[in-house]
Amino acid sequence: MKMKSSKLLTKKDLRKTFWRSFTMEWAWNYERQMNLGYTYSMIPALKKIYKGNKEKLTDAYKRHLEFFNVTPWLSTFPLGISIAMEEQNALHPDFDDKSINNIKVALMGPLSGLGDSFFWGTLRVIATGIGTSLALQGNILGPLLFLLIFNIPALLARYYGLYIGYNIGASFIEKVQKTGLMDRLSYGASVLGLGVVGAMVATMVTVKMPLKIGSGAEATSITKIFDGIVPGILPLLFTFFIYWLNSKGVKAQWILLLIAAIGIFGAWSGILG
Amino acid sequence: MNPVITAILLALTAMLANGEYFLGSSMLSRPLVTCTIAGLIMGNMTAGIIMGATLELAFIGSFSIGASIPPEIISGSILGTAFAIGAGKSTAVALTLGIPIASLVLVIKNLCFIFVLPYFVHKADRYATEANDKGLDRMNILGGFFSINLPIGLIVGISFLLGSPMIKAFLAIIPKFVIDGLGIATGLLPAYGFALLMKLMINKNNAVFFILGFALAVYLKVPVTGVAIFGACLALILTGYAAFKGQNEPITENASANKDQNNKGGIDYEDEEF
Repeated sequence: MKMKSSKLLTKKDLRKTFWRSFTMEWAWNYERQMNLGYTYSMIPALKKIYKGNKEKLTDAYKRHLEFFNVTPWLSTFPLGISIAMEEQNALHPDFDDKSINNIKVALMGPLSGLGDSFFWGTLRVIATGIGTSLALQGNILGPLLFLLIFNIPALLARYYGLYIGYNIGASFIEKVQKTGLMDRLSYGASVLGLGVVGAMVATMVTVKMPLKIGSGAEATSITKIFDGIVPGILPLLFTFFIYWLNSKGVKAQWILLLIAAIGIFGAWSGILG
Repeated sequence: MNPVITAILLALTAMLANGEYFLGSSMLSRPLVTCTIAGLIMGNMTAGIIMGATLELAFIGSFSIGASIPPEIISGSILGTAFAIGAGKSTAVALTLGIPIASLVLVIKNLCFIFVLPYFVHKADRYATEANDKGLDRMNILGGFFSINLPIGLIVGISFLLGSPMIKAFLAIIPKFVIDGLGIATGLLPAYGFALLMKLMINKNNAVFFILGFALAVYLKVPVTGVAIFGACLALILTGYAAFKGQNEPITENASANKDQNNKGGIDYEDEEF
């Protein structure tokens, strides 16, 4: 696939990102999910883009170590966009580098929605259907076809996604840059990104308090009472609590230990469940 | 075959299966694949393939979507197959033998997710401030290996040698609230990631959109994708999509001067001259 001509990168650089993106879920962690895999995939391009500018390179590494999650086979699409934006950031001193992560976060939700339903809901079901029907007869073609049917489209998506993402990112950002609308794009991306983060806090942080108050038929769980005030207020308050701890400068390992202790104490006392 | 060698081969199979996450999320961890290899190791590949198909259908509901990780199917299916072929037992019996081991793997995995992997994640933060790309590479590769891959391999190998009853007895020693508590903690951990993300993105001017996204999700039950679509529309409206459209074409100095002439017409232009 053709790559949009670039001042700083070659097709070979993008190919490195393609191969490195294979490890996207390898160090998947609860805290920031695919952040290590994403940074790992960005490294060759970032090193070239920010050659000789250690300060900006450091900022870029830190940026991509933030939370990220997406259907893994589509991860190269946001990678392509991120690379294109980092390139513009290096070329234009007035570029707002916050917009890079805002766009990334904004893409997470829609891409995962699309990707999960296509790869998990459709492609895997077809591959499993064909694979198991042969495997039930003891045919080795069962597992082999299962792998091939799933992985060939997945690989194509991973490969082309990168270049499509890069080309779209490069031409779009260039236009925005030239017309001086960068601050608007950045603001728009933060509107979209924060909305998505708000929805993710509501759906991905789980705090349940099953303890019942009252007796017999009138008993209601504490979760229900809180949900009566604002649904999902417990995950929200817990996230704010961690945000507050973090802004007070509490060290990461203490926050993690505290979370583990809260979980174990909650299970022991029956407050959390 | 020597049971120690078999155990090592089964451990490597488990590591290869988990290695799918190093190899493009390529479905190597599915029972169709792992049971086939386990069957081959136990000397009866056909039985392994058939068992893989049965397990695959049983597990069809267990796949990871978004933040959830799959229940421990790797150890369960590999050891289930190995026990079934080795002891000549039926699939159902073999699976029952595999379940305590799978639960043990799940407990160890949660422990690693809470206590081991974060070490690598935070060390990576330090390497980032030093612009140490080799260090970042290492954190990604070693983090996944030591926190998840190696523990799964070790438990599968050791469990095969010890046998299922021993693992069951061991599991009984761990208090239930510790096991449950670790599960609860994994549900709380994403809050930390979001807190870090918010610190980066939020300011006085845009905090309201966080609340908006949250409210859409909890009151109207809009899924994250839907929130993103609403957010995109809102972003376009707020940033003045029409104005944006008009200025979309890249314009050079000259072209913009011409455009001004065309748009404003003669009179305005002449006014400027006076």
